[in-house]
Amino acid sequence: MTTLLDYDKLFVTRDYVGKPLRRNEDEKFVKGEAVYVDDIDMDCAHVAILRSIFPHARLKKIDTSKAEKLKGVLAVITGPEVVAQTKSVPPRAIAKPLKQYVMAGDKIRYLGEPIAAVVAEDRYIAEDALELIEVEYEPLQGVTRIEEALKPGAPLLFEENGSNDLLHDTMTHGDIDKAFKDADLVLKEKFSVHRYSSTPLENWAMIARHDKGNGSFTMWANDQQPGRSVANISAVMGVPMNKLRLIVPESGGGFGIKLAIWPYMVILCLLAKKVDKPIKWVQTRREHLLGGTHAPDCTVDMEMALKKDGTVLGISVIDKENDGSFIHTAGIYSLIKFATLVGCYQIRASRMELVSVAANKGPTVQNRGVGKPTAIFTLERMMDIAAKKLGLDPVEIRRKNFVQPEQMPYTTPSGEVYESGNYPATLDKALKMADYEGLRKMQAEARKQGRHIGIGMSTGVEPGTSNLGYYYTSSGIPEYMGSGEGAMVAVDYDGNISAMIGSVDTGQGHATTIAQVISDMLGTTPAHISVDNTLDSFVSPSIGHSGSYSNKFNDVDLGAVIRATEKVRDKMLLIAAHILKAPLSEMRFVPGGTAIAVKGDDKRQMSFKDIAGYAYKRITMLPDDMEPGLKEIAFYRNKAAKMPNKDNFNVQLTHSNSAHIVVAEVDAESGFVKILKYVIVHDCGNQINPGIVDGMAIGSTVHGLGATFLEEFVYDDNGQLLATTFMDYLKPVAAGLPHIELGHMHSPCPTTMLGTKSAGEGGAIGSLAAVAGAVEDALTPFGVKITSLPLTPEKIMNAILRTKVI
Amino acid sequence: MQLVNITINGKAFEHEVEPRLLLVHYIREKAQLTGTHVGCDTGNCGACTVVYNGKLIKSCLMLAVQADGSEILTIEGMSQQDPEKQKNGLHPIQDAFLEKFGFQCGYCTPGMVLNTHTLLKSNPNPSEHEIREALEGNLCMCTGYQQIIESIQYAAEKMKAGK
Ligand code: FES
Ligand code: FES
Repeated sequence: MTTLLDYDKLFVTRDYVGKPLRRNEDEKFVKGEAVYVDDIDMDCAHVAILRSIFPHARLKKIDTSKAEKLKGVLAVITGPEVVAQTKSVPPRAIAKPLKQYVMAGDKIRYLGEPIAAVVAEDRYIAEDALELIEVEYEPLQGVTRIEEALKPGAPLLFEENGSNDLLHDTMTHGDIDKAFKDADLVLKEKFSVHRYSSTPLENWAMIARHDKGNGSFTMWANDQQPGRSVANISAVMGVPMNKLRLIVPESGGGFGIKLAIWPYMVILCLLAKKVDKPIKWVQTRREHLLGGTHAPDCTVDMEMALKKDGTVLGISVIDKENDGSFIHTAGIYSLIKFATLVGCYQIRASRMELVSVAANKGPTVQNRGVGKPTAIFTLERMMDIAAKKLGLDPVEIRRKNFVQPEQMPYTTPSGEVYESGNYPATLDKALKMADYEGLRKMQAEARKQGRHIGIGMSTGVEPGTSNLGYYYTSSGIPEYMGSGEGAMVAVDYDGNISAMIGSVDTGQGHATTIAQVISDMLGTTPAHISVDNTLDSFVSPSIGHSGSYSNKFNDVDLGAVIRATEKVRDKMLLIAAHILKAPLSEMRFVPGGTAIAVKGDDKRQMSFKDIAGYAYKRITMLPDDMEPGLKEIAFYRNKAAKMPNKDNFNVQLTHSNSAHIVVAEVDAESGFVKILKYVIVHDCGNQINPGIVDGMAIGSTVHGLGATFLEEFVYDDNGQLLATTFMDYLKPVAAGLPHIELGHMHSPCPTTMLGTKSAGEGGAIGSLAAVAGAVEDALTPFGVKITSLPLTPEKIMNAILRTKVI
Repeated sequence: MQLVNITINGKAFEHEVEPRLLLVHYIREKAQLTGTHVGCDTGNCGACTVVYNGKLIKSCLMLAVQADGSEILTIEGMSQQDPEKQKNGLHPIQDAFLEKFGFQCGYCTPGMVLNTHTLLKSNPNPSEHEIREALEGNLCMCTGYQQIIESIQYAAEKMKAGK
């Protein structure tokens, strides 16, 4: 097994790793006993936020005097006050010196942007008080579409920028000119993908308390990226990090959408200073849909250079992302697309022009897959279109271009390194599971009967572990680089084990997975292990990268757990050898025994409890040069991360892959689509807990299905959002979804400790293209081509009857 | 202010409340049973699902005063349901959700468990299709529902076997 670690050396037992262990630590969730932010038993005052009713405006005047007088209101804060007390939001990728604050003080850039906040005895009173705030706006012409926003003379989001172009760069890798010169066929398509989001079921929630005695703040929030959040709050408020304590309890889902909730924590801290008790804000669903962050809508102009036999020589892409109104994360969707730019294929030349566009739409932040769903959608659509042009089967053109297993590790033109994987075998397995040939026959039969059944597929890479240096467009050395995490593992006085990591859990069962790894490493059982998922920025072993995102858990988080466990393990061995007066080389962990024994002499053994007794209590009996205690912290980074360099850079550090095969039937009378079959074969390397991994693969695929068929943030041309409840922003429900058949491949990753690779975003990346391929295939008799999403019945009917293009 | 009497999980609660107080807020804040969640407050997500006089309802769509005199079951009350089938402090349905990975973040789970409880009472043998239909009002953003459905099928088996 090619992994960083030799399993046999690492593990004392193989009882837990690789098994679908129940999430026993998480019984609280099925009993209603989990404590999310809003469940914390604390006597709080409640915050409500006043949001702009115009998408683009100037805030002329804001009068809060009536609101302040309402009985039960404790304090009010307005945008101009917030601006006066804070620094501008720090951008991650764009280098232009633009100013934007956590609340609008003057310029309003999207519908629902916060302009004031009230804290009152209860939420009902706080909401009443919002009604009493008098606001004078100067509405401005808005702009929402990419093409409009980039036109000269367009309304400007940031006047000081002179245009709505926030980041514009072109990167060429390989001999792209030659690729197009040598081509037998050049295909050109314009794609567009709409705005959507993964909408975790729990909205954002936070509590802030100000300690006047020492000027510190304590915050409780369902933050997904605490490492960076505390740093951002500190920078914006000018309060040192050692006065900002962030506690993250259970979180009701994340998917990226809780990565940048910190601007609201700043608002809460400023308000908390004005009152004598903790204050709480829980976002409503409407607020969430308005500005609880979206994935940007985008347009992708793609040119593909091909030989007659289907070999792809190069691709040239112009990627324009509608990053809306938030400079903090603008630009990153395009940049992360380099991780999947050439997909599973040996395409040796690429050019990408990337544009981050500002418009009067809500903030965009990393949503599950971050740009990779659209990158794979466009590339895979293009492969299908090329196959059709060349008279090839979609399977054939993919096989022709796959990176071959013997080429692993494979470096793409831009420097992305695919560590492992067998792309042809993944597709073959999926074809077999789906009975591809049988399906084609069935399709032909169905067509004779006038039924419109189509078969679609996608093969893609699903990268994980972001090398944060991909923000190399910012000036100088990026503030964050690589990927890493910290962990603490302790054997307590009573011989039981506790562990925590510097990150948070948003539903991935980290506690169980960590317990599996530690159990096998120390020859104990999960019943002896307690993993605390609560993050406390004053206590947890965090670094700037800490957080639950980019599928880094299986890589650097577990890496840190292993390193910390090794430290504890080595110290226990030393203590046992010392006390038992046996050579260190003779000491062994007893499999499943929660004890250490002398090799070949099981009677000479010490339980973890005995050993811990010496470490914590009989400390005079420890070896002379040994510190007391059995609690160890370790930090770990993935060393595969390259230095930021536009010519040669790996945006992500692990690369899973998958093949999706979809059978869909379209009702040509109504435009409704029914998925008849859905097969996924995925390869995320070694799996620690297959029960959890299956859930991730299926759940992420359903996110993709929601995005493909149902979900869309529809704005009118002026910037009014037309989908602000789950009645108009539709989510997938159980009824109508297909049963997903899942197959696995296991190509261990040589650059992660356990050979694991990303598992959490996969389906959200591959599904869009596979479904679109199936629908287009079904519509072959009508000659319809799909270049955009979502696939609503209305668009499908329109294409059948008139336009021939979706 | 208005006086309301509501029995939740067999326990009588009495409070003076504002007429506009939502039942879900009553359950969470007055009765302090925080296993009932809020995901949308427009009746679309089912995170606030409770059993009201034997029927599934969304407690964000009802006022506390409307629930005066009613009997409500919340997730916390599952520990008293089917006492002969409880094992290690878990109802078989809860056990099934653990066994089959029927949750990720757990935010929808209380609603899902109560939905299952109500479904299996009226239909102890539901088909996959019937289960999918029954879950119509409960959104799960994490699982894609498949492992929830497997949990419900497993629970149905166990409930029958336990008879
Ligand atoms: S909170 Fe009641 S249905 Fe969503
Ligand atoms: S488990 Fe997270 S919403 Fe269902």
